[in-house]
Formats: sequence, C-alpha cells, structure tokens
Amino acid sequence: MVMPDATVNKNLEGTGARARVQKFGGYLAGMIMPNIAAFIAWGLLTALFIPDGWLPNEKLAALVGPTITFLLPLLIGYTGGRMVHGQRGAVVGAVATMGVIVGTDVPMFLGAMIMGPLAAYVIKLVDRSIEDKVPSGFEMLIDNFSAGIVGGLGAIGGVYAVGPVVERLVNWLGDGVETLVDNNLLPLASILVEPAKVLFLNNAINHGVLSPLGAVEAEEAGKSILFMVESNPGPGLGILLAFLFFGPRAMRPTAPGAIIIHFLGGIHEIYFPYILMKPVLILAAVAGGAAGLLTGTILDAGLVSPASPGSIFAYLAVTPKGGYFPVLAAIVVAAAVSFVVASLLMGFGRGTKEEELHRPEDEVVVGD
Amino acid sequence: MPTVNGSDVKKVVIACDAGMGSSVMVASTMKKKLKKYDVTVEHTPVNNIPPDTQVVLCHAGLAERAKGIAPEAVIVPFQVFMGDPAFAKVESAIKDGGTLES
Repeated sequence: MVMPDATVNKNLEGTGARARVQKFGGYLAGMIMPNIAAFIAWGLLTALFIPDGWLPNEKLAALVGPTITFLLPLLIGYTGGRMVHGQRGAVVGAVATMGVIVGTDVPMFLGAMIMGPLAAYVIKLVDRSIEDKVPSGFEMLIDNFSAGIVGGLGAIGGVYAVGPVVERLVNWLGDGVETLVDNNLLPLASILVEPAKVLFLNNAINHGVLSPLGAVEAEEAGKSILFMVESNPGPGLGILLAFLFFGPRAMRPTAPGAIIIHFLGGIHEIYFPYILMKPVLILAAVAGGAAGLLTGTILDAGLVSPASPGSIFAYLAVTPKGGYFPVLAAIVVAAAVSFVVASLLMGFGRGTKEEELHRPEDEVVVGD
Repeated sequence: MPTVNGSDVKKVVIACDAGMGSSVMVASTMKKKLKKYDVTVEHTPVNNIPPDTQVVLCHAGLAERAKGIAPEAVIVPFQVFMGDPAFAKVESAIKDGGTLES
C-alpha cells in the first residue's frame, strides 16, 4: 500500500512558492549562520572590554571596531562566495567584499551578502568560459590571475557602485526601524515574524534580515532590540507550557522535553510542529511576540550581538551589562501572554476528547 | 519515485534549514539507533544535501525543498522532532531490509 500523501495536516505541505522563498532565505541565512560564532566573539569582546563594559581594557577594546568593520563582513562575503563557487568563489567573494567595506562608513553585512555571491558568480562564469581553452601547463597561472583580477575588479566595483547604494539602503532601513521603535510600532513585526518562523523561515528572517540590521545598530548604540525580534524564546515557551497543561492528552508528555530543547537548548524548531498541528495557536505566538517586543521597547531592552541559538543561556550571555531586567522582562511577558492566549485557544483543556490529536500518519512505506 | 531497499542504505542524511540546529539534534538520536547496522548519519542544510544521497530525513515543511535539491534521494518527512514514527520506519527498514520510498 502506497500512501503518497498521508499527512493528516495539510498545513505542513510546502507549496512551490513557499519552497522557493525558503530556499532563497536559506541562502541568506546560510551566509550568516556558519559565522555566528564570530558574531558572538565580537559581542563578548564588546561586552567585556569597552569603557562601560565588565572589564574595561583599552588595549583589548581595540579589537571591537576592526572585528565588526572587517572580520565579520569578510567572513560573510567569503561564505557567500563559497556557496556559489567553492574555495575560489570564497576568495574572490572576500576580496570583492573588501570594496564595499572600504567604500562605506557603516558595517557592510548586507553589502557582503551581495558582493560575496555576486563576485563568486562572475568568476564561476569566467571559469566556465575559459575551461577548455587553457593551454596545458598554464592552468595555475590563469586560474590565479583570473581570480585575482575578478576579485580586484569586484573590490573596485564595491567601492564605487555597490557600497554607496547599499549604504543608502542600510541607512533607510535603519531609519525605518528607528521610526518603528520610537513610535512603539515594533511589536507589529510579530504579525509577520511569528507565522513566518513556523513556516521554517526563522533563520531567513533572523539571520538574513534582522541580524545584519541589528549589528549596525549595535555598533552605534551598543545594543539592539532587533536581535530579540525573532529569537525571543518566550512565545514558544508559553505555547509549550500551554500544551503541557491543556494540550491534547497524547501530546502532554512530550512537552517537558520540548521545553528543555526549546528554552535551554535554543532549538525553536521543536515547537513549530505543535503550532502546525493546531494552527490557530499562531495567534498566541503573535500575541506573545508582540507583547515581548512592546515590553522590550518600553524598557529599552537590547542585546549586544545575535542570540543564536535562541536559548535563555545565549540571551544571558549577550545581554549588555545592566540590561538584564528589560531583556528578561521581554522574555517573561512574551511567555506569559502566549501561554494565556494559547490556553484560551485550547479551552483550558476542555474538549480535548472531541478533537483528540491525530498522530501523523507516515508518508513512508516499509515493506511491500 | 525514488526507492531504496533498507539493506542497501549506507548513509542517512538529516536535513534542516541551517544544518546547525534541529538536524544535529535528530542526527544524534538517529546515530545511536543506526550505529549497530553500520549506517552513517550526517546532518546538513537542506540546500546542501549531497547529490548522491540515498535517504533524507527532514521535517515535512522542508520536504519539497529537499526534493528539489536531491531528486534522486528518498525523502522521508517527519512532523515532530522527537519520537516521530518516521524515525522508527527508517530504522526498521534498515534492520529488516524493507523498501523506503518518497
């Protein structure tokens, strides 16, 4: 018996468009996520050694500026290039990224996310076009110089063309975010972010969009609330707690393990299936996320670098000195609101008999 | 429709969006289960599933993407990250030589 489409829950089926958006988002996040450790190193160095940090140290604080200006964008450009054309693409991408860095005054994460893959794509085309035409024995000479020349030209293009355009764009986006924050409108972001998260666009949104913008803000202001928009573990915690107390009986025993993995381990994916099984719960996630952001905006919360994964431990590690109350308040409020809303939506456990959860059937067929 | 016999499976790939979070978690539990059958388990971002992969386990929300990246592979979707029946299915197919198909 073949059951090609036995998923009870239609919400899980990706449409073509969704898969395409996910894939594009995957590329954006794929440039940032392998380098998160470097962001964290930068965040920790900043939190420790800047003049109002834990252990002010002028000599070590000198690491902070060059790390965010040069190291992080270069790593992003390098990784982006590698995704397109392996090691050669990585090198050319990093060289070209140097152009957008030098040509502008803001940290060039978005510029690196454009230049890295773009320059790698150019050298890929060049490689393909001269592939069969290189005389024997000249391969190394031609390989090195073609990549060097493309990288150099990319850097020049970065200084004069891409850099200024991206800088303008980053400033606009920054102004837009500032307007949202100043008018307490940032919570509206949850209306988009929370549903997108559950559709596995979590990394795309957080690391493709919010991390680069947040890093620019953090460089100026010492912290950014943008790092908390997607990664706040509060809304997911509230939903899992609601499942623990009021969810379908078959699901309740799975909740404690999921809570540990989600809240302590920071793997948010663990709670997505719970929402996908009962999609109305997305309202709880939105309400929790928005409440957390409103709390964070009012109390002036922020993190010094991306909290990745979105674990409470990662949060505490990248919270600036003296900023614990606002950050923790944003998490607690988000968890409480999402718990209450999710519990209401599940009728506080009444009626679970009628809608006893369907265990997902398998799409796999074993044996014949 | 790609199919594979469980006894021919040498490697199972667990894919998630970033290849750093949930796939690593699932991979570490599957590794323990499949070790005794001499099957290796790897984790990877969906976008980087190796083209010669035989079996991919990934969340149902990512299955279509996985299909696009590795059309030759058997894609086994799962819905929950712990204790999903799909994990047991893959294990028993490998143990008893049953057929897996996407």
